[in-house]
Amino acid sequence: MILITGGSYQGKLDYAKARFALTDDDICIGKIDFDKKCLAYIDRYALEAVKSGLEPVDIFRANVDALRNKIIITTDISSGIVPMDPALRAWREACGRMNSYLASQADEVWRLFCGIPQRLK
Amino acid sequence: MSTFISGGCKNGKSFYAQRIAKAGGLPLYYIATMIPHDSEDDARILRHQKEREGWGFETLECGADILSCLEKADPAGFFLLDSVTALLSNEMFTAERMNPDAPGKIAGELVEFVKRAPRTVLVSDYIYSDANLYDEWTEAYRRGLARIDRALARACDDVLEVVHGQVIVHKGRVPL
Repeated sequence: MILITGGSYQGKLDYAKARFALTDDDICIGKIDFDKKCLAYIDRYALEAVKSGLEPVDIFRANVDALRNKIIITTDISSGIVPMDPALRAWREACGRMNSYLASQADEVWRLFCGIPQRLK
Repeated sequence: MSTFISGGCKNGKSFYAQRIAKAGGLPLYYIATMIPHDSEDDARILRHQKEREGWGFETLECGADILSCLEKADPAGFFLLDSVTALLSNEMFTAERMNPDAPGKIAGELVEFVKRAPRTVLVSDYIYSDANLYDEWTEAYRRGLARIDRALARACDDVLEVVHGQVIVHKGRVPL
């Protein structure tokens, strides 16, 4: 598994597309489809999960074997103001747990900064 | 050598940028981008002016159309542009309306600026890691600033992130 993280608009998906020659057909955005090579913006999926009362990290943990060869793109939303909206607060913390778990399972972790990749793991 | 610096607020980006500029020698230009809107801005500008005292900067006031700076300065000099963030808000939000073309315009002009004045340090702000769903204008601003940041990261020799006064090199080298 390769985990690609970074703030919004930093070039995460562009990096994945270029490095792994992904086509739009290889990518699912904001949802979990294990038939796709690349699961992009799982933070959006996490928001929907949290709103439905689910814990995103549990879903990834239960499906860890299906993630082995995936490229996963997540947005780091951990470094801002604590939101007033309780759903967004829960989302922010759920993403932290989810991203840390995925990074622990990943073979490589990359962070994009202004379009430039940096390997964290 | 051109340098692009970003990072969180109050982490020491401007101070580090000033040190790079000072080491670059004279003539030394400070491009002041902030257009003050209230007494808080006035105080911020005064504080920044005080911090720059004695560094040998000549101040160029330029809140928009950044290439016009080069008409009043020696392009072979050293330039410090602080900040890309202020420049974008000046040009993107005017008189109660939003100009969606501002990010593309500024990205093009700043890349051209660095081409014409290659000894330039530019400071931006990393505003991309918060857990909020913003209104359309704010989101357009974040997307726009990131577009400019990425264009500058491609164009500049060095790309640095400043964290609590410490420097992470994403491209090039540590200039000091």
